[in-house]
Amino acid sequence: MNSKLSERPVEIVMIEDDEGHARLIEKNIRRAGVNNPITPFTSGTEAINYLFGADGTGIANRGKPLLVLLDLNLPDMTGVEILGRVKTNEHLKRIPVVVLTTTDDAVEIQRCYDLGCNVYITKPVNYENFANAIRQLGLFFSVMQVPAPE
Amino acid sequence: MTLANADTATKPKKEKRSATVNLQPMLLGVGFALLIAISVATVLLVNRASSDAGLLAQTLVVQNKLSEILLNVRRAESSQRGYLFTNRESYLDDYRVAEPAVKEGVAELLALTKGNQKRQAVLVRTRSVVEAKFAEMARTIELNKTGNREAARAEVLGDAGRDIMNSLRDTVSGAVSDEGRLAAERSDSSRQTNTLLLIVTLVGAALIILIGAISIALVRRNARRAEVARQELAGTNANLERIVEFRTADLTEANEEVQRFAYIVSHDLRSPLVNIMGFTSELEALRKEIFDKVQTLTAEIAVLNGQADAAVAAASPETAAGVAPDAATEQLGKDFDEAIRFIKTSIGNMDRLINAVLKLSREGRRQFHPQTVDMQALLEQIAGTVNHRVTELEAGLRVEKLPVVQSDPLALEQIFANLIDNALKYRRSDVPLTITVRGRTTGTHVIYDVEDNGRGIDAGDHQRVFELFRRSGRQDRPGEGIGLAHVRALVRRLGGTMALESELGKGSTFTVTLPKRWSVESRSAA
Repeated sequence: MNSKLSERPVEIVMIEDDEGHARLIEKNIRRAGVNNPITPFTSGTEAINYLFGADGTGIANRGKPLLVLLDLNLPDMTGVEILGRVKTNEHLKRIPVVVLTTTDDAVEIQRCYDLGCNVYITKPVNYENFANAIRQLGLFFSVMQVPAPE
Repeated sequence: MTLANADTATKPKKEKRSATVNLQPMLLGVGFALLIAISVATVLLVNRASSDAGLLAQTLVVQNKLSEILLNVRRAESSQRGYLFTNRESYLDDYRVAEPAVKEGVAELLALTKGNQKRQAVLVRTRSVVEAKFAEMARTIELNKTGNREAARAEVLGDAGRDIMNSLRDTVSGAVSDEGRLAAERSDSSRQTNTLLLIVTLVGAALIILIGAISIALVRRNARRAEVARQELAGTNANLERIVEFRTADLTEANEEVQRFAYIVSHDLRSPLVNIMGFTSELEALRKEIFDKVQTLTAEIAVLNGQADAAVAAASPETAAGVAPDAATEQLGKDFDEAIRFIKTSIGNMDRLINAVLKLSREGRRQFHPQTVDMQALLEQIAGTVNHRVTELEAGLRVEKLPVVQSDPLALEQIFANLIDNALKYRRSDVPLTITVRGRTTGTHVIYDVEDNGRGIDAGDHQRVFELFRRSGRQDRPGEGIGLAHVRALVRRLGGTMALESELGKGSTFTVTLPKRWSVESRSAA
């Protein structure tokens, strides 16, 4: 029973307000050979609606293979809030959350891990490093295990 | 605002208060003057009363003497008559006693009333009458002694003796009644003087009591005002403290706002920068594909035009890339590369600047933890980290004895590492570099100098070098112009000041003045 992300139809939910960043991230993940579907959201509200479903309980996505790529600086809410809500939701708490943001503030990093984030990556400003980091993230995804559906 | 208002509000009151303060010594002076006046008046009046009493006594004495004189003359007369009548010597005893007594009395009175013309005149008259009387009496006694009794009797029977006597009696009684009048006058004047004395004393006492009452009222009013002023002052003080607190909070908030602003701006600038850089790289990647395509198309056009070697080129498109591109395409490629290069360089610069701002804002937000710092050890540690560069440059780095300070060690390390790094960076190529770090203490502060013999800073740039992104002199060393701005920001946050003494081509001395004891609470003041 193989639960490797790249070998299962795991959906990547990308919450990133900057469309340019979203595009660059997608391109570089694809370059790493990750072909999973990517659903982009540019605002926190849309993403919350999608993750928690119409009833807002999250039951709709229970056991669905998801991976969340989360930016912390969103126009309508902070990524930290989304992280907190996902990780405290009975049905969504096992979804791996990768925080991918420009903030490298030590307090912020600590807070995210305290809330249960699985990986925290700072976007390098230099594009070569950025592309490289995303490609490595893609490679990481290809060997990463996600929880099996119950 | 509130402060200024309070100040102007208290001013007029102050003036009023000083007026009352001036009134009091004046009142005291008036009181003293009054006392002196009363004393003088009393002394004068008492003197007058005593001289009045003396004059009155003198008048009584004069009256008395005059009566005595008259009595003695009568005694002598009756003694003379007794003698003449009885012809016995023993009757003359009284006469003999009376005569010198009368003469003596007249002389005494003359001496006593010297200076009073009227009295003297009366007395001189009295004396002549008395002398005439005694002469008459002496004559009759003499006649009788010589046995001439009839002549003596005739003398006595004659009215001469009686006339003299009457005249004397009139004179004396006139003088006595004169003296009586005088005595009445004098005793009147004496009574008046005494009344005046009493009035002066009473009025004086009343005035002094009045002044005392006014003084007491003034003192009480002043005390009341002082109490009001004290309360006002206490109120102002409390207000002032509140204002200071308020301003401090304002400043702290503004400072934090600036820090937040810098942080957010640098963050938000970073995001589009990633895009610009990312898509520039994408463009670069596309460039190869586009130019390869252009190459291929050029080759194809050449084939279609039926030029030489076209068949070979068309048969294998892979070799098209190997074919040297024509001049126009090459120029296009160069222009493209140049544009990309400029974009990338600018992005790199912008990236460095944003990182610098981010670093500064992060430093600004860092909490300081003051503790006693052994500056000697700290500087030697910094010297250790730059040791290889010092050796490489054959430079000298000397750390003299440095005083300890109570401050944030990390901030201090950054400050001095930056200053020493600058000294190493901006050296002169013609002289071996020497850097000296020395320290001294004043009452409340510690002062550290970092001195070098480097290229120095132009006097016009002494302020500028501390500004963000500003640099001085030849721009032949890497850097963003952030080091000294950072150093100054840190020193200020530590409650200290930064100074620079430098001469172009001679060297620079950076002076860091820090409070001996710095605590987190004192930060707001910095």
